[in-house]
Amino acid sequence: MRLQALVGAGTVLLGLGMMGGAAMIPSEAGYGGVGPNFLPWVVSGALTLCGALLLAEALRGGFRDMEESSGAAAGHWPGFAWVSAGLLANAALITTIGFILSCTLCFVLAVRGFKSAEGRLDLSVGALLKDAAIGVAIAAPVYWMFTKLLAINLPGLTSTGWL
Amino acid sequence: MTEIWTQLLGGFATAGTPVNLLWALVGCTLGTAVGVLPGIGPATAVAMLLPITLKVEPTASMIFFAGIYYGAMYGGSTTSILLNTPGESGSMVTAMEGNKMAKSGRAGAALATAAIGSFVAGTIATVVVTLFAPAVAEWAVQLAAPEYFLLMLLAFCTVSAVLGQSTLRGLTSLFIGLAMGLVGLDQISAQSRYTGGVPELLDGLEVVLIAVGLFAVAEALYAVLYEGRVEASQNRMSKVHMTRQEWMRSWPAWLRATGIGIPFGCIPAGGSEIPTFLSYATEKKLSKHKGEFGTIGAIEGVAGPEAANNAAITATLIPLLTLGIPTSNTTAVLLGAFQNYGIQPGPQLFDKSAALVWALIASLYIGNVMLLILNLPLVGLWVKLLKIPKPALYAGILIFATVGVYGMRQSSFDLVLLYAIGLLGVVMRRFDFPTAPVVVGMILGPLAEAHLRNALSIGEGKWTVFVERPMSLALLIVVIAVLVLPRLVKLLRS
Repeated sequence: MRLQALVGAGTVLLGLGMMGGAAMIPSEAGYGGVGPNFLPWVVSGALTLCGALLLAEALRGGFRDMEESSGAAAGHWPGFAWVSAGLLANAALITTIGFILSCTLCFVLAVRGFKSAEGRLDLSVGALLKDAAIGVAIAAPVYWMFTKLLAINLPGLTSTGWL
Repeated sequence: MTEIWTQLLGGFATAGTPVNLLWALVGCTLGTAVGVLPGIGPATAVAMLLPITLKVEPTASMIFFAGIYYGAMYGGSTTSILLNTPGESGSMVTAMEGNKMAKSGRAGAALATAAIGSFVAGTIATVVVTLFAPAVAEWAVQLAAPEYFLLMLLAFCTVSAVLGQSTLRGLTSLFIGLAMGLVGLDQISAQSRYTGGVPELLDGLEVVLIAVGLFAVAEALYAVLYEGRVEASQNRMSKVHMTRQEWMRSWPAWLRATGIGIPFGCIPAGGSEIPTFLSYATEKKLSKHKGEFGTIGAIEGVAGPEAANNAAITATLIPLLTLGIPTSNTTAVLLGAFQNYGIQPGPQLFDKSAALVWALIASLYIGNVMLLILNLPLVGLWVKLLKIPKPALYAGILIFATVGVYGMRQSSFDLVLLYAIGLLGVVMRRFDFPTAPVVVGMILGPLAEAHLRNALSIGEGKWTVFVERPMSLALLIVVIAVLVLPRLVKLLRS
């Protein structure tokens, strides 16, 4: 219930924030009578309203017609942290160490996360090397396909297009 | 009629060149793989591959994307029959009976009726697209901004308020999608909105980013958070073969389901969930073997929904190509692909890009044949994909997500946004918010806004423009009916 209320409140905040944004958009309407700020007002107003109704539902017995969400009742946060670290490290490093190495790092970290969620986290060097090898085996062909075959730029450690 | 025939033959000539056949084959293969693998669906796969629109010519990439779209439907049934989790949402019903059949040792028959049924329905639906899409396009030429706006409003209403569990959560999703669509430069006045001074946001949010974030990244994060301990049990394969009696029970179900699926794909009512459920209910009611439903698995219960699924999926191309209105996640992403080429699907598409449209339609016929071959004799190969351990599968999906998003705009800022959208997706999934309205709202929002403002310009600023024109009045009534009727029925029943 408390989490649902949080979702409702978050939606209200988003709506209100967008109203603030809408107020900053000039309203030169031109011919039509509605300008660039019209839809922002509608959307922000509707979001605020939806959020308020969600909040009301949450406080009065919870969201209506909920489908039971699948999986465990409580989240496995250590696993989540590993995967998040992988994704964010990828965003931070992709331009400096190149696509292949950065994605491999993301892969290794994400695998740690999923394994820990399954209750068999393995931090041994052997497992790390094995996952790194699999990561390279996925990332490298993808990289080559994009840079060599399709001529789409992806960042590399070198400018050869191979690494 | 002869005109359609000539155009279609022209389409086959284009789609039949070795290069385009190769694109179709790669698309179908990739699509089947994507359909088989849990955790990744056709919308995600097409979205991840959108960067190829930067380099590959439109016809080839559309044939490729259509192959993925189609292939995923075929592949999805394999997973739902052999695993206890459906590969994609349209296969949910197939999972009910198919899984029961597989448990009682008839996996092969279930796979066969699913693949052949998909082929029959897909081909009939493609014939319908061939015959009716040009007619719809011809009719749609008369439509102007007010009508387009109302058609889009209709799509918004059906996708958010009619489908799904809760209207409130559907609408919340829709408005979140519309809000995402607002980011960037306003199409008409070039005014920047919600960019917060970040230059990367001036171009707006990429479709790839939203689709991959909401589907792939959110799926991975959700799996690691909540599904680490869920064990997937795999059913035993048996020979892919149907007995004479199974054929006799399958074919009427295929045809009935095709009839149910096509209309649902045509109207902007989105998705294939409703027709698959309807077909399942129909088969259950008509079957002479009611005792098999839910116990040892009835073959009609697999044949019908699978055919309905493919018929509906194919028919969604009619509103997409003739009106430019996507009614499902994947068609929304396909619309994004067209937009990347500066092509706006709509009635003019059949004039301006006739070669492209007809090549695409021809490739659907070709794709269906390819998929039948890929999925019947080669089904054993696809089953091996189910052996990939979950950690490697999801971590691998994250690599592909990175390629798609980074390849589109070469911006690492987008990768941070991708993570944020992924988090949003986890919250939405946990609290049962539908995702289709977000994607449809985000892609269709800016178009709907432009049509609304053009409509008001036509009406010299008066909102009465929507009731003064007969077509738009009719559409307005349909919109209201879609919103009111289901509730009225519910009220009368209680």
